[in-house]
Amino acid sequence: MNCRMTIRRLSAFQDKELAAPQVRQVELHLRECGACRAEWDALRDLEQRLLGLPPAAVDPFFSTRIMAGLRPRPAGKNRLLQAAAFAALFITVFLAGFFLQKSALDRQDAERLPAVTFTSVLLERQDLGLLTVQEDTLRQFTRKRP
Amino acid sequence: MDDPQLTDDEVVSSVLGGRDRDFEILVRRYSQRIIHFVARMTEDGDEARAIAQDVFLKIFEHLPYYRRENNFSAFIFKIARNMTLNWLKRRKRTVFFSRLLGHELDRLPLRRDPPRLSPMEQGEREQALTRQLRRLPVEQRLALVLKVYLEFSYKQIAGVTGWSVPKIETLISRAKARLRKGIRLQESGNEPVVEAREK
Ligand SMILES: [Zn+2]
Repeated sequence: MNCRMTIRRLSAFQDKELAAPQVRQVELHLRECGACRAEWDALRDLEQRLLGLPPAAVDPFFSTRIMAGLRPRPAGKNRLLQAAAFAALFITVFLAGFFLQKSALDRQDAERLPAVTFTSVLLERQDLGLLTVQEDTLRQFTRKRP
Repeated sequence: MDDPQLTDDEVVSSVLGGRDRDFEILVRRYSQRIIHFVARMTEDGDEARAIAQDVFLKIFEHLPYYRRENNFSAFIFKIARNMTLNWLKRRKRTVFFSRLLGHELDRLPLRRDPPRLSPMEQGEREQALTRQLRRLPVEQRLALVLKVYLEFSYKQIAGVTGWSVPKIETLISRAKARLRKGIRLQESGNEPVVEAREK
């Protein structure tokens, strides 16, 4: 192995990331090449300096403070209850929408398309603050408008 | 309190099963390494402790998303990495705006030190090295800190960062070369005035 290859592999050699045959090649080259050995010594010196930096102090109450700061997580059963509550809410909103549409249709003249009527009812109800309609849901209906 | 018989994954299962208190086992197992990691990345002791605390709160929050494959270390270091990099980005913006306004942050020693005549004392050497570490492009610093201070293999670093092993090898090698050059310049009194640009 020549100097260029050795220098290129020196960092991985130091990090013990080379395969065994490459390790032997680097070691062999270092034994016979003074210039590369100087590079190797400089790398080792750098590592010593880096490891010589004082470690960050960990205060003894660190874990206590973490535990005090945790927000309780809903347990498994509670999560199931939450899901059930969301489902119930969804069904309620769906049924409400259905009956709103139905009552609106009863009042509107029969010529208007159902999709148009439904959208306009949604919009009207939203304007009145009676209903919150998701923007993208609304867009799906409005796109179908003639 | 820590039961060494329990694997990380078993502790996670226990926490997710409702025993929140068991999270403390994980905090105790990893706090030293997380604080060390954040401190070396930020080179700011007070901030490091605050960030490390937030990291653990975030880990607790994200625990349900952890896929139990006995790789808890990669999971938490990913969170630590993200939060530290976000903090570094915010600090960079702060430094940028404070420079625009004509004043620099005290905590960033960007000015040239006067050339020293006597050999540097140990404390000064440490400060100088810290300064060089802080000037490394953030990807190089991340790879180097994980390697040198956390003793991660390149493969483990890949698990945390998502980078390829050859990229990690290059980043670490460049980081070392850059540090050596910086130290040489600093010790000869020819230190560059401004921080190194990214990459
Ligand atoms: Zn050579």
